Amino acid sequence: MSSASWWTALHPRRWGLVTRIMVLTLGLLVLVQVMVLSVVRHSIGNSVRLNLGRELEADARVWQRLMDQNAQQLRLGTSVLVADFGFRAAVSSGDGDTIESALENHGARIGATVTVFLDNDFVVQGLGSANPNDVLAQTLAPIARRLANAPQRTEMALVNGRLHQFVVSPVRAPLPLGWVMMGFTVDESLAKDMAAVSGVEVVLTQQQPTTQPQVLYSTLPQGANAVLAAQAQNQPAVQVAEQTYYFRPVVLPVADLQAQAVLLRATSAAEAPLNDMQTVLLGIDAAGLVLFALGSVLLARRVSKPLELLVAETERLGQGDYSQPVKDPGSEDEVGELARAFDRMRLNIQANQAEIRQLAYWDRLTGLPNRAQLRAKLQQALKQAQTDGTETAVIMLDLDRLKHINDVLGYTFGDRVLQSTAQRLKDLAEYKGGLAARMAGGEFAVLLPQCGPERALEVARLIVTSFEQPVAFDNQTVDLSAGMGVACAPLHAQDADVLLSRAEVAMYAAKRKTMGTQLYDAALDTGSQLTLSLLSELRQALDQGELRLFLQPKVALHDQAVVAAEALVRWQHPIRGMVPPLQFIPFAEQTGFVRHLTLWMLDEVAHHWARLQTPGQAVRVAINLSTRDLMDQEFPAKLDAILARHQVPRSGLCLEITESAIMDDPERAEATLVLLSSQGYKLSIDDFGTGYSSLAYLKRLPVDELKIDKSFVMGMAHDESDAKIVRSTIDLAHNLGLSVVAEGVENAALLQLLALLNCDEAQGYHISRPIPADDFVAWRAGWQAQTAAATGTDTHHTPQDPTGA
Amino acid sequence: MKILRSLQGCVAGLLMVAATLAWADSLPVKVVDKAGKPLADAVVFLESPAARAATKAHQSAAIAQVNKQFVPQVTVVPLGSSVQFPNQDTVRHHVYSFSPAKTFELKLYTGTPANPVLFDKPGVVTLGCNIHDTMTAWVLVVETPYFGKTAADGGVSLEAPAGAYRLRVWHPGLPPGAPAADQPVTLPAPASLRVTLTGVSA
Repeated sequence: MSSASWWTALHPRRWGLVTRIMVLTLGLLVLVQVMVLSVVRHSIGNSVRLNLGRELEADARVWQRLMDQNAQQLRLGTSVLVADFGFRAAVSSGDGDTIESALENHGARIGATVTVFLDNDFVVQGLGSANPNDVLAQTLAPIARRLANAPQRTEMALVNGRLHQFVVSPVRAPLPLGWVMMGFTVDESLAKDMAAVSGVEVVLTQQQPTTQPQVLYSTLPQGANAVLAAQAQNQPAVQVAEQTYYFRPVVLPVADLQAQAVLLRATSAAEAPLNDMQTVLLGIDAAGLVLFALGSVLLARRVSKPLELLVAETERLGQGDYSQPVKDPGSEDEVGELARAFDRMRLNIQANQAEIRQLAYWDRLTGLPNRAQLRAKLQQALKQAQTDGTETAVIMLDLDRLKHINDVLGYTFGDRVLQSTAQRLKDLAEYKGGLAARMAGGEFAVLLPQCGPERALEVARLIVTSFEQPVAFDNQTVDLSAGMGVACAPLHAQDADVLLSRAEVAMYAAKRKTMGTQLYDAALDTGSQLTLSLLSELRQALDQGELRLFLQPKVALHDQAVVAAEALVRWQHPIRGMVPPLQFIPFAEQTGFVRHLTLWMLDEVAHHWARLQTPGQAVRVAINLSTRDLMDQEFPAKLDAILARHQVPRSGLCLEITESAIMDDPERAEATLVLLSSQGYKLSIDDFGTGYSSLAYLKRLPVDELKIDKSFVMGMAHDESDAKIVRSTIDLAHNLGLSVVAEGVENAALLQLLALLNCDEAQGYHISRPIPADDFVAWRAGWQAQTAAATGTDTHHTPQDPTGA
Repeated sequence: MKILRSLQGCVAGLLMVAATLAWADSLPVKVVDKAGKPLADAVVFLESPAARAATKAHQSAAIAQVNKQFVPQVTVVPLGSSVQFPNQDTVRHHVYSFSPAKTFELKLYTGTPANPVLFDKPGVVTLGCNIHDTMTAWVLVVETPYFGKTAADGGVSLEAPAGAYRLRVWHPGLPPGAPAADQPVTLPAPASLRVTLTGVSA
């Protein structure tokens, strides 16, 4: 193991497993060692105690043997003495002095301290002692008497404060004359012998029946009295001079008092080899601890290292990186199995996540990113743009007439339109380095990183261009059109959501103005919320069939014949009842929804057209076109499609365009009108005179008819100038080859006047209010009957020109 | 040795015959210990002033040493008798006596010492050998001519003239220094006498 890995092993991050294993292992080991050591210590203690006990037991025997040997020696000496002929002769002499001197002499010969001759009645007959006295004689007689009965015994006694051992031998000459008893001091010599022979300490004690025990002699240099104390307390050991001694008393055969030879052995000598063993054991324990520590660290590392690898791998997975397989530590054990299980989990999560991501961030129908993804990408792009200091643009676009396509051509077709749109946007966006997404319904967005307003508008124009190619499936062709709003960061907003909503506002503004593209402007934003709600209501009205087609008849002034009608829309609201056109038409024009209305009207008119016709008289139906219709280059095609569906001839319609509608974008309006005219549609300028169109311009337009605004017509009866305007307008129109229709004809006088002015057709309340389309035929019948009655049978007369022109 | 014994027996027998012939009174005595067992080698003798006056020393008594034993072990001699100590063993002996009745010492000798030992005081003389502690013999010195030693059956018959005597009985088994048993007896006695020595230990 290298030092570096050692360090990592001790790094706190690793402590979990390594420390736990190590602490557990070492803890258990220490526990076992402590137990072993305590048992060993206990055993050592026991063994020392036991050994000392045994040794002391042996020592006691040795002591006994020593005493016996001593006695034997004494006895031998004594028997030698009593066998001596001279001694026997001296004793037989009966001379006290001779006897005593002989005793003294012979006692000294063998080192006896007391030598005494007693007759057969144990009366002391002679005492060979340096210091004889009566007390001594009285003490000795009973001892001699006892020993004489068992000559092999020995007895001890305290003589002059010192322990003596006594033996007796009979004196025969040849019959027993008496006894010789000899005494030897045994204290110091015997104790020293004992200490020399078996290495024990000896303490001799004595206790008179009436006194405390006391030490007679001790081989211990000091503290012998402690032995007495320990004995008194029945302790097995005694502490003397920092040594512990176990001891064993041996009772000495002393007459009339208790005497003991206490044998002591120090524990230190007995413990020495055991202590050495204990030291060795401790060494082994320490080595064991080190080995176990190393072993457990190694073991723990074997487990923790692959686990760490797995931790790193799972952290990588946790951060969402599923691309790399989980590293296999390569072992066949549980950890290896865990790693492989992790890898299986990674694959499952990867698959699940891919699916979730697909659901969450992709539009299933078109395969484009959805709103959520676009929003996320936009946030990223904005962040990047902020660092780079670049601009980001969003184009929001809403397909026109999607609902209508769904309704009319079915949802399958609608879906195809969406897919086709998506493909075009995708191609374009990729080409321009952007991202196309489907937001909802017919709403799409294109994210353009590193793109300013100019380039965004350019892309928008490219989109318009790409939309010019109609979508065709199953022999059905649909023109694509959309309103587009452009918003740029940081110019319009910094935040993704705000930027998107601004792009949306711009988009609705674009739709309102029926112009393809609108760059966001703060002015657009006011009330946009209200607009959205109205718009949705109106959209609902269209979907729910709350709109009604009304017709206001137009009659030819020369014969009162019903030659045309103006198609008008009414909103039959389920709650509010009939909603006046002024409340929603301007709004529809603003938002661009009017195009849906126009198409609805066209469809309705075409639907009713055939029923309105009579064999003798064709009825032209006029439809108002909005600016947005004119801006829509596909409009003529749509118009054709509707008429074709209902088999209505182009001549059967008249398309009314207000002056203002033309003036929004005169060039495009002109282009559309030229196209429509060339296709055979009859075109009419509505509300003529209210706008500012120049006659020169009008002259260029391929129109067939002028409708004089009702404000002039109604003022004509009492206002000379209005009358002049009307007259000159009619003249002018006729000069340009246009027919003239007068609106707001509210009474018969006006009708007659207009007839006089050679106006071609008239329209107004005097003739009829706008009536539901279904009522038109009935009304016409009534009108014809009324006019026939008024003008006689001749219905084909030509009224005279009141102006005389 | 057997010849000697028979000789002694003959001598004793002749003496008794002579006594019987002279005074014609005999006293059969049987000595037993306190258990009633017969005591051999017990010395029985009669004392009286007349008997003391009739005491006559013997010169022919001998105590031989055979096989490290004194033979006989118990010898009775009248006062003033001399006793020979012939050593019939091949080893030397050192016969001694510390008894007050006669203290003497025959230092290491072989054969028969030239001078017999004269016992001139009455009493018990205990003999020992300083070489061989197990050798012990007794010489009883009496002041009477009327004495005898019990046979194995504990019996002995004394011949003495009629009269009043003190009958003394002694045996080595009595404690050292103990006097001989003493009882009055008058001859002729009606029957045999039975003496119990209570002081003898078995």
